Amino acid sequence: MNIVSLLEQRRHGWEELELLCNQMQNRGRTRAKAAGAARFASLYRSACADLALAEAYQLPPATVEYLHRLVGRAHNQLYRSRNFSLARSVDMLVRQAPQRIFADPCVHVCALLFFGLFWLSMLLGMSEQRLPDFPAQVVGQAQLEQMESNFEAELNAGFEHYVMMASFYIRHNTGIGLKCFAYGILIIPCIFTLAYNAVALGTSFGYMARDSTIGGENFFEFVTAHGPFELTAIVLSAAAGLRLGLGLISTTGLCRGDSLKVNAIRAIPVIAAAAVLFFLAAITEGFLSPSPLPYTFKAMWAIMSSGAMTFYFVVLGFPRAGIDAT
Amino acid sequence: MFPTAPLDTTIEVVTPENIAFKYQLAGPFRRLPAFLIDLVVKAVLIMIAVLAVALFAGVTGSQLAGVVGFAAINVGWFLVWWFYGVAMETWFNGRTLGKMAMRIRVVTVSGHPIGGVQAMLRNLVCIADLAPPISLQFFAADAPPVYLIPTGIAGLVVMTCTRRMQRLGDLAAGTMVVIDERGWTLPVAQVEDARIPALASYIPPDYRVSPSLAKVLALYAERRLFLSPPRRRELAKNLAAGLSERFEFREDLDPDLLLYALYWRTYLADARDQDVDLQPLNGYSPLQKDAALVAVEAVPSEPSEFVTAVVAGDQPPPDSPTDPSSETKP
Repeated sequence: MNIVSLLEQRRHGWEELELLCNQMQNRGRTRAKAAGAARFASLYRSACADLALAEAYQLPPATVEYLHRLVGRAHNQLYRSRNFSLARSVDMLVRQAPQRIFADPCVHVCALLFFGLFWLSMLLGMSEQRLPDFPAQVVGQAQLEQMESNFEAELNAGFEHYVMMASFYIRHNTGIGLKCFAYGILIIPCIFTLAYNAVALGTSFGYMARDSTIGGENFFEFVTAHGPFELTAIVLSAAAGLRLGLGLISTTGLCRGDSLKVNAIRAIPVIAAAAVLFFLAAITEGFLSPSPLPYTFKAMWAIMSSGAMTFYFVVLGFPRAGIDAT
Repeated sequence: MFPTAPLDTTIEVVTPENIAFKYQLAGPFRRLPAFLIDLVVKAVLIMIAVLAVALFAGVTGSQLAGVVGFAAINVGWFLVWWFYGVAMETWFNGRTLGKMAMRIRVVTVSGHPIGGVQAMLRNLVCIADLAPPISLQFFAADAPPVYLIPTGIAGLVVMTCTRRMQRLGDLAAGTMVVIDERGWTLPVAQVEDARIPALASYIPPDYRVSPSLAKVLALYAERRLFLSPPRRRELAKNLAAGLSERFEFREDLDPDLLLYALYWRTYLADARDQDVDLQPLNGYSPLQKDAALVAVEAVPSEPSEFVTAVVAGDQPPPDSPTDPSSETKP
């Protein structure tokens, strides 16, 4: 058999396929549009057939390798990535996320851990008589003084301040949440971040609640509006992260890699919900919390947001059949 | 039975067309430069945004422009920092700018293109792959205790431990990174050496090369260009000894030429090439039974230059007939 003449017969098709691959790679489609796509598909099929027959033809290994590469390239162009779809995202946020969150033990554990530590350290921080130095030991004297000076004056910020702070919180706080999620795969950094935030926030709250602290009232007026969103978002991002880490450990009979994948897919709606909450918290924290609006309004907002979240997590999230169908 | 997968970095993927083709995996040394390029691109994007906003605010001189610009930078920073990889990999079929430069691509472990959710997972978890971060205090005692410098040890360790060289993010998303070469030339070793067809014509016509031997011959022929003549003989010796005996060739035949001739006969010989011009080899025979004859006849006269080239001597045969420039490189 003369391999050269055989390859000469076939190589025109392969070269044309390469050319079409280049066009699709650079422009997302072939130059000849529909006709080009049809030609591409037929060339791809024949290259696949050539690859399958390569062993039977006894083609030299380097040629077989060339065919592997060619088929691989064409395959990548033929089956392209799927973009985000709005309908799927909405379905994920409105239907899947609440049901997953409601049923997920990771969320329960994280919520218990976070709010337990939060309330505990708040109580410890508040007890001025017994533990006067506790807040300074936990968050540091410098930070306490800065908080006091920040909230000394009445809340009355200008429009510029709102826009700037809202954007800052989006970048900063959501970043922390996403980091907490990512570290969840290593479990310990995630739990540490969650517990650290709970203790630091709780202690600050407790310290500001002391009678002797300056600016305590302003502080609580500031945190009321965005608190529900923000604290829930922290818990959710840690829970989503913990779900990843748990997937590595508790495999429920799957192989470790598959178990991680399954759990990662389950964590996605949770982290998406957390991101939305972070965004809402940042907007509230930027625009509403520092504004001179009356406290009643801010408290109303907090009650409303807590109510909305309760509706989201409990009513939308109540177990229904077919949660895992998708 | 143990699976006999080759000990290298290729991964087989079965397509919907029921064809199994192979991908070559990209290791850390290819992925790290891509990561660094992406890091620079992200930094440059943010810097350009900051400069543009500063310029705009400076030119218009309005405070509002400055404030809105600041907000835009913050939100833009957040989006670029966290979602640059997600967006690029989703829209550019598993590639970011760095990956395009390093010719690598993210695909799922089944060889399919990745979707938005997978791109998001693997890019978010990237932070965990960069763990543990170390503090600047490690280098300067008076630096603030902020953990700034990622070491990437977690990702590296996981990558070396997994079969598909996946980092944690890849494991979570079920993806792998493969090399995405383009512009491969078709590699067939050409034979322009006149001695080869001549020698091949002595190989018994009923001898059929087995598939595994054919593979070995092709590998040898494609790689012999990179070997020195003594090394070629050394490699070819073991295989050629058995063949030589079978074909009843003389023992001092150059093993390299024998394998090359067999390659030629297996892959390149054609019915058209039957009438070979033997050139100066006319009259020379590699066969054992003719060796005595040749010896008797050839002793008084000088053996021709080409005959000495066929026979392996102490000196390497002249390379001019097998000039590498006349052959296509595999």
